[in-house]
Amino acid sequence: MIAIIYFVELLLAGIIAGVVGSMSGLGGGVVIVPALTLLFGIPLEYAAGASLVSTIATSSGAASAYVKDKLANIRIGMSLEVATTLGAIVGSLLAAYIYANGISSYLFIVFGIVLIISIYPAIKEYKKGKMHRMNKDWSTKFFQLSGSYYDKAEKKVVRYSGYRWGLGEIVSLGGGLMSGLLGVGGGVLKVMGMNRGMRLPMKVTTSTSNFMIGVTAATSSAIYWSLGYIQPFIVAPVVIGILIGAYFGSKVLERTQSRKIRTLFLIMLGVVGLQMIFRGFGVA
Amino acid sequence: MDMDKLISNVLRTGVIISLILILIGTVLLFADNGSNGFTMAQIINVNSKINSSIFSIAGMVNGLFSLQGADFILLGIIVLILTPITRVITSVLSFLYERNWLYVIITVIVFIDIMVAIFIVPVILGH
Repeated sequence: MIAIIYFVELLLAGIIAGVVGSMSGLGGGVVIVPALTLLFGIPLEYAAGASLVSTIATSSGAASAYVKDKLANIRIGMSLEVATTLGAIVGSLLAAYIYANGISSYLFIVFGIVLIISIYPAIKEYKKGKMHRMNKDWSTKFFQLSGSYYDKAEKKVVRYSGYRWGLGEIVSLGGGLMSGLLGVGGGVLKVMGMNRGMRLPMKVTTSTSNFMIGVTAATSSAIYWSLGYIQPFIVAPVVIGILIGAYFGSKVLERTQSRKIRTLFLIMLGVVGLQMIFRGFGVA
Repeated sequence: MDMDKLISNVLRTGVIISLILILIGTVLLFADNGSNGFTMAQIINVNSKINSSIFSIAGMVNGLFSLQGADFILLGIIVLILTPITRVITSVLSFLYERNWLYVIITVIVFIDIMVAIFIVPVILGH
């Protein structure tokens, strides 16, 4: 009986994580790690393992809808994955070094503060309204960064182009580095790089980020598996919940106005920032 | 075939197979009140030592025939991990079919990165 109640509680945490993760483009891990460690007292290693699998589940679950409805742009996603996977490899190689030298806590605090500070200029820029007007540059054409999708909230076809591919690539490299090094924060940089760097519409950004995060997470899977971070009883209910949540999240995102998705992203930016600062000070 | 549809189907198929395996595993776990010789109390303990490090692929496949819940769940997780990797392979083939050479190169690089991360990085780190 205790086992069933425990299972249902983990399932509910998974559903919430799936909805938030699929709509913000950050994956379910952002919600799952603090929920498992703070509410359930699960050790960080098992929470990290559940987070990795959650990220892949949110990504694959929601992206199947986003890709079919052409919200996620496969070319943009794949071209940025070159940087995120490379960053993740370098990050996981450096991780051992930063943990051995005890500088990981400083990195968590510094990155956490940077994320929280970055909320302010983002709000200012979003308030100005139209931010997607720019002249096409060489990369728009060369990397085929244009596309269109049908916006179910505004009931019209939205045509868009991405600019400054190089900037997107550099920010994504940083995102991959963070995923490999600290295990969190990668999705935030992907969204920033695509939305504010490459000037892609918010829905294209979060759904393409969603499409990408599964691949970045898969790069850490072999290490997590052999370290024994994956506990079947914790992961099973969380994954089932995440898949249910991601399914609904993807339906809701398509019908939500971009403005609201931006607000959700900014809130999550603050949540991730605070999480990193807490981790830096050794709280969960 | 439309590439977006193809990739969407690959992702959906992976998710469904994974979900079915995890659901069967969960039902078995509760029905047997344990798995792989461990009791339920041992498995649900937050500090339980029953985790991926003590499971091998060969052992899990054997576990399927003897209906061990944890083996089904972990195999479902492996299918889930393989899903985005399969979608990268599918993209390589789709871009080849479209003769979009720039993106054939890009997707091949991503695939190589993943293989390095899974097979070479753990060796360098000594896991």
